[in-house]
Amino acid sequence: MTKTALIIIVFLAAVACGILIGPTSLDAQILQLRIWRVVLGIFAGGVLAFCGCLLQGLFGNPLVEPYTLGSASGAALGASIGILVFGTINPFLAFLGSLGTGFFVYTVARIEGGLLRDRLILAGVVMSFLCSSLVMIIMVMGGRELYEILYLLMGYLGVIINDSNRIMIIALMIVSLGLVAFLYRFHRELDVISQGTETAAGLGINIQNFSLVIFFSSALLIGLTVSIVGAIGFVGLIIPHVAKLIFGPKHRYNLGASLVLGATFLLIADTISRIITVYELPVGVVTSLVGVPFFIYLYKK
Amino acid sequence: MIALQIKDVNFSYDAARIIDGVSLSLKQGEFLGIIGPNGAGKSTLLRLICGICKPADGEIMLFEKPLAGQNQKEIARQVGFVPQETHFTLNFTVEDVVMMGRYPYQQPFMREKREDIDAQENAITAANIEQLRKRPVNSLSSGERQRVVIARALAQVPRLLVLDEPTSHLDLHHQHSIMELLKRLNADGLTVVVVHHDLNLASLYCRRLLLMHSGKIEATGTPNELIKKEILSKVYGTAVRIVRHPDKDVPQIFLHTD
Repeated sequence: MTKTALIIIVFLAAVACGILIGPTSLDAQILQLRIWRVVLGIFAGGVLAFCGCLLQGLFGNPLVEPYTLGSASGAALGASIGILVFGTINPFLAFLGSLGTGFFVYTVARIEGGLLRDRLILAGVVMSFLCSSLVMIIMVMGGRELYEILYLLMGYLGVIINDSNRIMIIALMIVSLGLVAFLYRFHRELDVISQGTETAAGLGINIQNFSLVIFFSSALLIGLTVSIVGAIGFVGLIIPHVAKLIFGPKHRYNLGASLVLGATFLLIADTISRIITVYELPVGVVTSLVGVPFFIYLYKK
Repeated sequence: MIALQIKDVNFSYDAARIIDGVSLSLKQGEFLGIIGPNGAGKSTLLRLICGICKPADGEIMLFEKPLAGQNQKEIARQVGFVPQETHFTLNFTVEDVVMMGRYPYQQPFMREKREDIDAQENAITAANIEQLRKRPVNSLSSGERQRVVIARALAQVPRLLVLDEPTSHLDLHHQHSIMELLKRLNADGLTVVVVHHDLNLASLYCRRLLLMHSGKIEATGTPNELIKKEILSKVYGTAVRIVRHPDKDVPQIFLHTD
């Protein structure tokens, strides 16, 4: 109980920092920008860490993260194509890239009678590399767009919200939160699967169907997130481990903790990225720079 | 009551026939041992009984109801399955692992009900692991871990307990204690099916044996009827010698050597 209270206090403190700390003085306009930024940070950090926790649970593999399965790279590819063709990030294309890659990975991994789950990882890693190469080609081809794609690949919370995209971003966030709520109900299945697929099947879980549901729902969620703020790395890999270190192995607790801790972590990283240099760093750079030492400290403790 | 009725079941994997026309009937309260060489189809037969694999054709009846019409959770409320090996990728406590046997009875988000906690307690008592209950499961020895996995299967409150080589990799003490545990559970009325690689343990504890060979049932009968030089030499392709167990009048096997 005290742990829950503690992470919520830290979360609120991170929200306050995100709103109050910055290089310029606060006025109404800046305040509005900062509030949007904080909302995006909570959303992206929470969703990415939640997906990481979900996927690590499904695959029983501590190294799996949103990028391992190709959906994040697919989304980045879709978004890059959007930048090249339309000049701006197009959420629809990012989304299509994520789902398309998901389907491709699924088709490659599918085999008659074989266990889909174990084949998804390798197929996902391979597809992830393919998408990254394609993004590189686009970057080489593009001139002015290079900078924008770079920010997309590293993640950037300072998305300019205006009348034309406000409704869409709010809608995407509501859909994502609905998906998170839907996926949370599988906390028991994830606990059981950590003891092996034979055990899980013996206890009444249809592994094939379950893997499909988790895989595609998380691809969808990651696609939605990347389409708004870009491919922010590291949160989905490390935060679930931190959640498990604090709350133990039960997914009922560590899925929720991943949401809150992911949001907190991204807010702190974003605040640092705003104040550390004159130019804003992409937040993905800061998540790794801050996250790695923090994780090594926790891991050694 | 007939606990398990298997009729002309076939199962193939990648065009290879693993189970070939198997029929079998098991009464409630029996203690059946399935033996046979590696690759005979023993483990696959267990998976078919648990509903993890679906037969290509033939019929399986569980407590006089066809298995085909039941969903996996329904089956899990009747059959407790102890797989050959369990890896724990997350370090749950022993209590938590046993509680996972209640999964087929639970809904998402709901707290554990009175009957879940009772089933958990009974399973912990039956498997005699009270002293381990707060321990993280990865700190246990493989013998202790096997008892925990059996307790998890007992928390399912099964009418049929199915185990795949529960004593492999275990030392003498744990082999003995696991088999004694199964014997006690069977005496209390639980129907038990065990796949065994150790013929001597199977002969000592199982009241009926089923010998499988390349997907077919080669022979079935009491240990006295089945553990015979000519039958085993043929199926395993190895010369064996049979002697009597000094305590109990059952056959025991020795390998032949010059």
